[in-house]
Amino acid sequence: MKRFCGTGPIVEAADRCGLGGELSRRGFLVFSAGALASMAALGAARVWGAGAPLVILENPQGLLFADPARCVGCQRCELACTEFNDAVAAPSLSRIKISRNLNFGPAGPSGAPLLGAYGNGLVVQGLCRQCPHPVPCATACPQDAIVEDKATGARVVDEARCVGCRLCQRACPYAMMVFDEGKGKASKCFLCQGRPRCVEACPAQALRYAPWRDLTRESPALAAVSVIPPEKAGACAECHVPARNTPVKERPRSGS
Amino acid sequence: MTQSPGGFAGRVLRVDLSSGKVSREDTAEKYGDVLGGTGIGYRVLFDEVPAGTGPFDPANKLVFATGALAGTGVPCNGRTAVTAVFPTVWPAPLAGSGHMGGQFAAKLKYAGYDALILEGRADKPVWLFIRDGRVELRDASRLWGGGIRRATLEISQEMGPDCVVAAIGQAGERLAPLAIVANSVSHSAGGVGGVMGSKNLKAVGVQGSGSLRIAGPRDEWERLIKHHLSLLGANNQHVVPAFPSPESEYYNPGSRWVGEPGRRWGAADPPVEITGSILDLNRIAYRSNSAAFFLGEQAWRHTVRGNGCTACPIRCHTVVKMPSVAAKYGIKEVGQNTCVGLVFGRAFFRNMPGGNKGLGSLEACMVGMHLADDYGLWCNYGQLQRDFVKLYSDGTLKARLPAKEYASYDWDKYDAGDPAFLFDLIPRLSERQGELGQVMSQGTAGLFRHWGLKEEDWKRDHSTLYWKMGHPKHHANEDDGQCGVLINTQYNRDAQCHSHTNFVRNGLPIEEQKRLAGGIWGSPDSVDAVGDYRPMNVHKARRARWSLVRKELHDSLGLCNWMGPWVASPLKEQGYRGDDSLESKLFSLATGRATSREELDLMGERIFTLHRALTIRDMGTLAMREKHDLTPDWLYEDKHGQQPFTQGTIRMDRADIATALDMFYGVMGWDKASGAPTRETYARLGLDGAASALERLNLLPGDGNEPGK
Repeated sequence: MKRFCGTGPIVEAADRCGLGGELSRRGFLVFSAGALASMAALGAARVWGAGAPLVILENPQGLLFADPARCVGCQRCELACTEFNDAVAAPSLSRIKISRNLNFGPAGPSGAPLLGAYGNGLVVQGLCRQCPHPVPCATACPQDAIVEDKATGARVVDEARCVGCRLCQRACPYAMMVFDEGKGKASKCFLCQGRPRCVEACPAQALRYAPWRDLTRESPALAAVSVIPPEKAGACAECHVPARNTPVKERPRSGS
Repeated sequence: MTQSPGGFAGRVLRVDLSSGKVSREDTAEKYGDVLGGTGIGYRVLFDEVPAGTGPFDPANKLVFATGALAGTGVPCNGRTAVTAVFPTVWPAPLAGSGHMGGQFAAKLKYAGYDALILEGRADKPVWLFIRDGRVELRDASRLWGGGIRRATLEISQEMGPDCVVAAIGQAGERLAPLAIVANSVSHSAGGVGGVMGSKNLKAVGVQGSGSLRIAGPRDEWERLIKHHLSLLGANNQHVVPAFPSPESEYYNPGSRWVGEPGRRWGAADPPVEITGSILDLNRIAYRSNSAAFFLGEQAWRHTVRGNGCTACPIRCHTVVKMPSVAAKYGIKEVGQNTCVGLVFGRAFFRNMPGGNKGLGSLEACMVGMHLADDYGLWCNYGQLQRDFVKLYSDGTLKARLPAKEYASYDWDKYDAGDPAFLFDLIPRLSERQGELGQVMSQGTAGLFRHWGLKEEDWKRDHSTLYWKMGHPKHHANEDDGQCGVLINTQYNRDAQCHSHTNFVRNGLPIEEQKRLAGGIWGSPDSVDAVGDYRPMNVHKARRARWSLVRKELHDSLGLCNWMGPWVASPLKEQGYRGDDSLESKLFSLATGRATSREELDLMGERIFTLHRALTIRDMGTLAMREKHDLTPDWLYEDKHGQQPFTQGTIRMDRADIATALDMFYGVMGWDKASGAPTRETYARLGLDGAASALERLNLLPGDGNEPGK
């Protein structure tokens, strides 16, 4: 087995977790879940220092779950999201998405069968999955402006760092990023520091805040634009390597 | 989009369909004194539409207007008032408003507009595209002749799934006075569809991405919204449940709070059980089920969910699923509506197999909604169906219609209560086919105008529920004695006011209501128990005034007068008190303009009085008492001969109602002889401009202008 001799944030993080000595490309992947958990426990994802590319975010503690059969389409959750957090009434800026599915469901007015008020009545809520690593929106951000919220582990936009490039919007497979044209800033669900206003606002108990689990493998996702800024791509390549049994054709490196 | 000034979107959009010209006005600058909604509607009609303008003349204007609270998280917002010279008024057209809920009001505001004024007439069918700052008239020729749902689908394809489309159907296109404009499947404004059709305007599609600023402190806003939620009961602000509950001191079987724990939305997948505390603010949406309230217990089994307007936790529209109607009639198995829209189909029939709450009745309702909300036919608050039943039963239809036309209807199906009859009737009424379609689509006024039927006969026949001027009663003496009667005298269409009935029918025992009434209107005598009325007193006149003022306020703030005001609540610990200042608190925080209850009520009174001035101008007479504020004869009769002011009758007394009008005119500051506002009253309300305009027409009381002139 070839020893992995690279450097970079993953190795640096693994070293800090006391795992660096054991690290190999395949070895790391074999016990990556444990390693990630250990790193998460140590807050390793944040230890790389200012300016270093951010790759791994801890899994959040909680997540919003929704029951479409209970949704009454009132949009009180959307309005609570923007009014109680931003002092504006603006469903277009809400981090929970009802309006877009209200009339025709996720397939829209061109698709069949129809959901929503013009279809079978069912309203499917649009929710942020608070994705596990690699977090599409955070990975896409060239400014590392999508970071963890200390209280909940939610992936949140640091407005001070966001430059309004919208790459996160293109990267989210669930179309859950919102963009405030006035401010020129992106935003996303940040779980209201552990007291989600949408859950409080629902008059039909259609929403709940419950322990996190990975929903990204089961929810139908959009084909998002895969965006990885070059300075991060190297770090990603350190872990995201061919699987154990897949032969890989060596490609000549450019310039060599 | 520009920053909202707080609550308001800030601009009014004006579209001249004749020239295609689009312009914008500053809401506060131009309409600041009349808030929004009906206030803007009446102002535009008074200032810009001359007396004598017909409803379908290009000079008529159609004003879609909402208000400062629409589109925010305030519970029970979402209302748009659609004001125009109204086509169903007998004997001549006068100003009126249809009011629709749904998502239109909110979306218009997110697009940046508090109101939309439509004028002129396009030379060919068009629809209006509004996406934030971009406004265009687009060709509607491919939509013309089709239903509301197809127009909605095709426009949504062009504008995006979350746009809102307010469209007319075939009834509006053919200038039926009984035509609606509808948005969001089932939310309609009656009577104005034909006005839209006369402008060659098929639909208004709105897409808005903007924000409405909440001017006040964020935490105060959050507290106020939660305070408002805590005061809510069920639909019609019934604050007492219909069923006994350990959580409620009282219950009342007449209440619309029917969501008893143990009930379920049986057609939800999986079914949704109603569990837990009935007072839980996270379960408000389960309290009301209009299908169950109007169509009986069986409707629970077919309930998919509740639906309704933007931000309203009271879901007064019920989504109903009945696979049997898909199998039998080939229509969609899912339908939704509320109140008279829900029973639109059933109400045409004299008898239903299984009764009014049987399965056949439910199916007739499904067929009726399916057709009426697509063809865009209005029922004039059930008057269409009552007139149809009357005219069929007394042989008038057979006598008046050409024999061939009469025979073309399958009356055996009708007699059998077969919903299939509606597939013949509703499209023909909507498309105005034959004499039946031509005449009945005009409403009751059409019967008087074209068939020479006598209005007096309708006014005598209690079973018609006819009130005056082509329209029925709307929460009158059957709910609220003289107060209800006064309110029903005031408008040019049915009264559309719920402020009064939402209190007297809230389900609390009369002792509790009287205690509350003492605090709100100054005397426990301002309220009587339903059907146990006492002679008129001035406190009732004050409550009638308060009811009308709040009605216009709600219609101008974007709030729902089917739910508000909220002066009683389910909160025993608060002595069932609600909050009479709620509207002004919400307005103050949303807009950042500190406005007291008295100041806001004054604006409501100004709007209501502007409607009065407009009516006086357009009728060309001061004699409101004699010619406008009318009551039907059936009001003064009891089929068992019971005397007024005895328990168990809703019969009124003519002399007492005359006293009621005197007292009402007195508290309004109107001239008692004519029922017209005085110059001082116009001045007190900041309506000097209207007073001067009326003075030039000799329509101010005093100065030798006698009533009747």
